[in-house]
Amino acid sequence: MQEGKPLTDREINRGLLNILFENPLWYWGLVGLLAVVVLGAMSAAGYMINHGLGVTGLNRPVMWGFFITNFVFWIGISHAGVMLSAILRLSKAEWRRPATRAAEVLTVFSLMTAMLMPLIHTGRAWRIFYWVFPYDWARGIYPNIRSALVWDPSAVFTYLTSSILFVYIALLPDLAVIRDRSTGLRRQIYSILCLGWKGNPRQWKLQVIAGILLSALILPVFVSVHSIVSFDFSMAVSVKSWHSTIFPPYFVIGAVHSGVAAVVIVMALMRFLFGWHDYIRPEHFDALGRLLIVVATGWFFFFVMEFIFGLYGLEGDEIGMKDFLTAKPPWNWWFITFVGTTYFIPVSMWLFKGVRRNPWLMLVACVSVNIGMWLERFLIIVPGLAQKQTFNFVWGTYAPSPVEVVIIIGTFALVSMLMLLFAKVFPLIPLYDVKEGEILRSEIQIGRKKVPAVIRDE
Amino acid sequence: MHRANGHTTVGEEVQLTPQGVTEHLSYKVFNIDKRFVLALVGLGVLVILGIIGFIVRAVDDGFSDAARPQWGYYAAMFGFLLVTAGSAPVAAIAFRWTKNHWRRPLSRASELFALVGILNVLWFIPMIFLLPGIDLNGDGVLAVGEDRRTIWFEGPIGAPLWWDTSAVIGLALCGLAILWVSARPDMVALAARGTGWRARFLSWLSMGWRGTEQEWRLQQASLAVLGAFYFMLLVFVHTLISLDFALSLVPGWKDSIFAPHHALTGLQAASGTILVTIFLMRTCGGFRQYIGLDPFWSFSKVLLGLTLLWGYFWFSEFMTFWYGRDPTEQTVVKLVMFESYRVAFLLNFFFSFLIPFVMLIWNVVRKSVIGPAIAGASVVIGAFFMMVRLYVPAFNIPQADLGAHTVADFEAEAGQIAVQLLPVKPDVWDGFIVAGGVGAIALIFLLGTKLLPVMSMWETKEGLLYILFRPFIKGRYMVLGKPE
Amino acid sequence: MAQRKKHKWGMIVDIDKCIGCQACVVACQSENNIPMNTEERFKERRANEWIRIERYWEVPEEYRSKPEEAPFQDVKARFIPIMCQHCENAPCEPVCPVYATYHNDEGLNVQVYNRCVGTRYCANNCPYQVRFFNFWEPVWPERLRNQLNPDVTVRSRGIMEKCTFCVQRIRRSERKIEGQEGGRLTDKDLAEGNFLPACVQACPTNTLIFGDFEDPDSQVSRLKDDPRHYKLLEAIGTDPNVIYLKKIDPHHEGEEGHA
Repeated sequence: MQEGKPLTDREINRGLLNILFENPLWYWGLVGLLAVVVLGAMSAAGYMINHGLGVTGLNRPVMWGFFITNFVFWIGISHAGVMLSAILRLSKAEWRRPATRAAEVLTVFSLMTAMLMPLIHTGRAWRIFYWVFPYDWARGIYPNIRSALVWDPSAVFTYLTSSILFVYIALLPDLAVIRDRSTGLRRQIYSILCLGWKGNPRQWKLQVIAGILLSALILPVFVSVHSIVSFDFSMAVSVKSWHSTIFPPYFVIGAVHSGVAAVVIVMALMRFLFGWHDYIRPEHFDALGRLLIVVATGWFFFFVMEFIFGLYGLEGDEIGMKDFLTAKPPWNWWFITFVGTTYFIPVSMWLFKGVRRNPWLMLVACVSVNIGMWLERFLIIVPGLAQKQTFNFVWGTYAPSPVEVVIIIGTFALVSMLMLLFAKVFPLIPLYDVKEGEILRSEIQIGRKKVPAVIRDE
Repeated sequence: MHRANGHTTVGEEVQLTPQGVTEHLSYKVFNIDKRFVLALVGLGVLVILGIIGFIVRAVDDGFSDAARPQWGYYAAMFGFLLVTAGSAPVAAIAFRWTKNHWRRPLSRASELFALVGILNVLWFIPMIFLLPGIDLNGDGVLAVGEDRRTIWFEGPIGAPLWWDTSAVIGLALCGLAILWVSARPDMVALAARGTGWRARFLSWLSMGWRGTEQEWRLQQASLAVLGAFYFMLLVFVHTLISLDFALSLVPGWKDSIFAPHHALTGLQAASGTILVTIFLMRTCGGFRQYIGLDPFWSFSKVLLGLTLLWGYFWFSEFMTFWYGRDPTEQTVVKLVMFESYRVAFLLNFFFSFLIPFVMLIWNVVRKSVIGPAIAGASVVIGAFFMMVRLYVPAFNIPQADLGAHTVADFEAEAGQIAVQLLPVKPDVWDGFIVAGGVGAIALIFLLGTKLLPVMSMWETKEGLLYILFRPFIKGRYMVLGKPE
Repeated sequence: MAQRKKHKWGMIVDIDKCIGCQACVVACQSENNIPMNTEERFKERRANEWIRIERYWEVPEEYRSKPEEAPFQDVKARFIPIMCQHCENAPCEPVCPVYATYHNDEGLNVQVYNRCVGTRYCANNCPYQVRFFNFWEPVWPERLRNQLNPDVTVRSRGIMEKCTFCVQRIRRSERKIEGQEGGRLTDKDLAEGNFLPACVQACPTNTLIFGDFEDPDSQVSRLKDDPRHYKLLEAIGTDPNVIYLKKIDPHHEGEEGHA
């Protein structure tokens, strides 16, 4: 499990804190470019709020389109954080070490971005206080807790709060390291942020316990968030193809699939941009690739189940809907692309060890997964609405407008920009985790062979 | 577990050296003591009762569409066989794949349940005659309102009977294949140390295993491939059986999570079965030195996760149906959960979810031996009641109503459950059949332990190589070798 | 106002009589300040028609798979007027996050314009697709602003709207007949006082009949158990307050009939 040379503490500190203390030109260029894109998206959103939703491609019956697809997509990406951090921490997998913080931070930023989507896509976005906060100033009317759209923000904000806590608590030892290596104003800021971390055994013990507790507590939140997002769809009794009991686990496993793939993308990019070849090694991509095979296959099972049950009732309109999806252009091309990019292309790549150990090939496979998963959400939402019920007089279709496309691209730029800005002030790979991994490395002798081993404290 | 360089002794006192392990486990296979014979006799009585119950039912009612309601509990027992013994080999497969060190004591036990796969096939054969056709009015056209809902679209190639039968037989064969591949090295060791017909049989069965490096590599690869295949087949079997014998028999019941929920119950009940098995192995079977706290401590975490998942899947189903207020779905919920089969559902919910959940969230419970065993037993009992509440109502829908578009079509009044859907109480022959099924699982397993070692010799010896204890800083810790 | 009497407003739609003239659509639009539906709006699929006439073509059995080849005299047009069904078990009501739609005690499904934030979940969850969203800010040319009905709010962009059974007329009728005169509303009062919904008033063939299900003498109470009666999408269990009467088709004598 441990390849690569053993690293000393000093090397780890210097290697992982390089971006905090240097100012490369490419970094600010990239951040600037992303900021421009984000500004463009914000102006597009402003234009839309000013002129009305008519500037989008939404119509009747397709009242939800690109924005809700994007919302579900980013919530999906946010599931990587918990999957890798909490589950791998609880099961003591060694190969989680470089990935945990990047995953958790990706979670936080993608959740924030996801929540922007339902806010701007409403007809009267300036009235949104009715929805999220109890607003009982004149009429005694609170938000309708029977509505899945009220469960959504409750779940997402719970997840956001716990993820932020998770990131912060895990950051404390590293903040202390940065404090010790900086001077002046920077030192003052970091010493406030690290809450007086001294690194004595008592503090370490508390930190470990807090980490384990949070990991265990955040797991049910993680499952519930995307299930509740799926309830937005499965509770709808009028959209035939949405009212399916399998939606909650189907969405959750789809989220894990796209989320872990997103973490792989982030790790490959981190390795390239920051030069962290010693810390993010081929063995990590190998392990993530094997995990992804299992997750992808699980997802595929749920997808097939959902598809079959659309046809199970032998009802004419549902068969018509599936026919629309698989036979009519351009939807059939999107459908084939979606199944190929989500499952068949990446999994056939991941079956080969050579591919799994190559960061660039893994990047390609995981980008393919995320394209496919974005399409998956789109193909659940829009065709379902386009052919809702037997009254085919009101059947419709949907095509996105430039405003929607710009805003969607803006969200990708926003998450990337936030990740880069985070990397400038906090290390994206947890220093103490890597150091702990170094300490627990060991070897055992079996016959003539030296086998790498790890020390377990049970 | 500890290393020692002493001599090995035969009998119950075992030193855990590779030599000692082989000697001890061979002794366990060939030695038949009084307790074992007593167990065999007791289980044999249960099996005979089961056969009596089956024969009485077969003679009294026969196998026809009209007789289907009488076979509800028989079908529930088939589901029970599938989720416990049929799914048990998955533990060995899954934890071998994830390379968990604590699987070693339990892998052969879980593989041995593949022998019960033969019972699955035999049990399934009468059910073939009880399944109604898809095209109920026989006019060669599948149309809504005349024909049973099903995932199959036309016969005979798409017919459920072809696929279900091949899937069940395929699962049994794949399980036996895994058992054979895994046990081959042990067969040779046993044949060398024994006498009599068993040694001769094992020698023949091992098919010339020599233990070369190439053979070992091939064995590992085969186990990986067969294991993956078994897992996929298992999910397939769960999907088919649950859909064809339960879901599609209740008109209007369209529930996409039904098959995954059934498969998950299989994984959960299999974990429970194995926990109970290794508990018995440790306490009554004399394997105390092989089975430490590790398997219980770790496996109970898995069981907790599976229990939570079970609750989650149940909640998805309930919430989607309940919220939408669709009349058909409301009727189904009343049928299998809240009115007709309320007792079975409550027992199912308590034993499959509430009791294991409340128990397993405590560290103290998980880090013991008896705690996970009780939770495992509870899960197995809960699985039985789940099969009852799913299969018995499905088998009791009148034949004439099978083509109905919705359950509401044959209700006496909208929203009320019709007289035909009152819960069916089991009679004494059903009780015999249930007892027979449980007895048969245990009997086949016990007989299997006298043919093959229930503790895997080669895996235990491999573990001795990779797991060491060394001093570290101020304490002693376990060092796990990870050759991959 | 005096004690409110109990009402349950409902409608009967007799498909046998509908000729598809769309007078109801026009009347509804002028009564309720519905934005103008230009050709542009129809192409965008955002036309706002609180009551719409759905037109289906019926071709003989043998031409079902190739309807364009059927001889023209055998092709029949079938019309269904569909407006908000004011379901007792409305799927649009539980899903609104801000309680902008709810069921009032007179059986009406009510839309509160000033509360609506425009999430559009209610429109998605309506199986009859009778809810309409204002994608653009409605504008009327200067000259046409005088024809706006002062009893009805003009909705801005971002708000959902739908048929209200002309609740402004119902309220007026209740104030006048029950409040001032202290009586109980009957069919006769509704018809003579111009209190019927605009579509009912405009329909030339008496396809649309409006009344109070709580009044045993009203026409709707008598017709709701008619042998021809059915409800749209009954299996979903919405329990609508609009009841349809099946068409009597001379070409399909003796058949059970389908809606």
